[in-house]
Amino acid sequence: MAVAVAPPASPSVAPNLAVARAGPRYWLHGYWRMFVWDLMNLRRYLPILASILILQGTGLVLGVGLFFRHIPESAAIYVVSGVPVLSLLTVGLIFEPQIVADQRAEGSYEFVRSLPVPRSMMTMAWYTVSLIPALPAMVIALLVGMARYHFHLDVTPSVVPAVLATSFTGMIMGYALAHGITNPMTTRQVSGMLVFVLFGFSPVMFPATQLPHWLAEVNLWLPFESMATIIRDALVKGMVTGVRRAYLVLGAWALVSGLVTARVVGHRR
Amino acid sequence: MDGTVTEQPGRPSTPDLVSRVRRVHGHWLESYVAMLRFDIASQRTSLPGFLIMQILFGVGTAIIYGFYIGQLSREAALFIVSGAPALAVIAIGVVAVPSMVTDRQTAGTWDFIWSLPVPRSASVASTFTVYTGLTFPGIVVTLALASWRFGLHLHPTPMVIPAFLLGSLMATSVGFGTAQVIRNPLVTNVATNVLIFVVFLFSPVMFPIDQFPHWLAEVQRVLPIYPLAQVMRASITNGLVHNVSICYAILAGWTVAAWTATAWVIGRRR
Repeated sequence: MAVAVAPPASPSVAPNLAVARAGPRYWLHGYWRMFVWDLMNLRRYLPILASILILQGTGLVLGVGLFFRHIPESAAIYVVSGVPVLSLLTVGLIFEPQIVADQRAEGSYEFVRSLPVPRSMMTMAWYTVSLIPALPAMVIALLVGMARYHFHLDVTPSVVPAVLATSFTGMIMGYALAHGITNPMTTRQVSGMLVFVLFGFSPVMFPATQLPHWLAEVNLWLPFESMATIIRDALVKGMVTGVRRAYLVLGAWALVSGLVTARVVGHRR
Repeated sequence: MDGTVTEQPGRPSTPDLVSRVRRVHGHWLESYVAMLRFDIASQRTSLPGFLIMQILFGVGTAIIYGFYIGQLSREAALFIVSGAPALAVIAIGVVAVPSMVTDRQTAGTWDFIWSLPVPRSASVASTFTVYTGLTFPGIVVTLALASWRFGLHLHPTPMVIPAFLLGSLMATSVGFGTAQVIRNPLVTNVATNVLIFVVFLFSPVMFPIDQFPHWLAEVQRVLPIYPLAQVMRASITNGLVHNVSICYAILAGWTVAAWTATAWVIGRRR
């Protein structure tokens, strides 16, 4: 990590003069400063981003319904309870790599890296910011879906860990991609491909049984179906099984992405 | 111009005028051929990528619709397969052409192209030819893969030639005209992303228009995407499409409108 080690100070030095670059207070301070920094940085884009996410969520909920002449209730529930995954992943997994690619292109990337804040706190601050436009979009999409297809969701308290785990895994994967790939063009292609995979080839808004067997098997080990599983479990009673396994799969993806991020972001150059 | 035409005071004689017109005509053709070579050579690395992208988009979208709907009736599968080539063409018009235009805007290539001693109409015609031509292999491969995936046999009629030609030309022209009118690459990029989303979810390409709310269906009938899908579908299926002539007329209207917009933007001196 980037925590600079202060020179071994003699005990006589007054604590308020030394720059204590460690400890919870330093971390919290860094987190707060980076949170404000990210917020200020995105102040013009955040309302646009929030609007895009709201349109995306409601558009998906309403648009997929048009694929069917008469949409079966189970298909409608799948669509509505799957849309939160897309709302939660769009900023962290899809936009973040593009934002970092833009920073690299304009040269501000190195500047942000040079700020005297622990890199872990930079990540956490970004995570918090990425939730700001996603949460309202998710709630609006759910409300629109319930109104359009005339059913009620049984929201349980497990929605909190489900939303946090889904968004965190997506964000840390996006972070690893954004910082791991140095060519902005490649980053854009990868995030374009991810949208395609996430939307079309992952059983997020439709059951895995509608995929070919081999693709359903592959999806068991990818994170997107697991995200849908834990979110759906928190919103709909008795529709999904294998929630514990889904959390484990997400945990593994988050861990690997975290290690990649720590390696890429943490080393000095 | 080649500089051999000498300006004479007074009215030129009729044979003079004829030879001058012929020379202008010949000059346009020569310019067109030269610009074709320029376009193909300068985009030789990106054109194969666009070709692959449109096939992936056409076939991928057909497969994805299948996943979403689950149990497909034969009619639903036929709609999906016969809509796939339209999506491949739309990918060229909505993604490939605008991204080529914006890349050239960012790099300043258009200023260079407009400064060349060729008629601007020849440059534009060459671009339209390249991208309209590019869609054909994409259409064929998309159609073959989608029919194979859903186990259907299509019956192409001779109308595939005018249908695919006009459809591709319209998509290329509208994509080109819009990107030229917008001018700002960032805005074009956003518009492209929004359009892809709208095309995928709210356009009656892969399923019948009567599944739409009445007002949205009425809007779609005059926008270019539904008529594009209809003329293509009519040329490869039997009995699914009626009143195709009005779709041809709407496509022709959009093509002419796009050409007019293009002429207005590129014809101005700066």
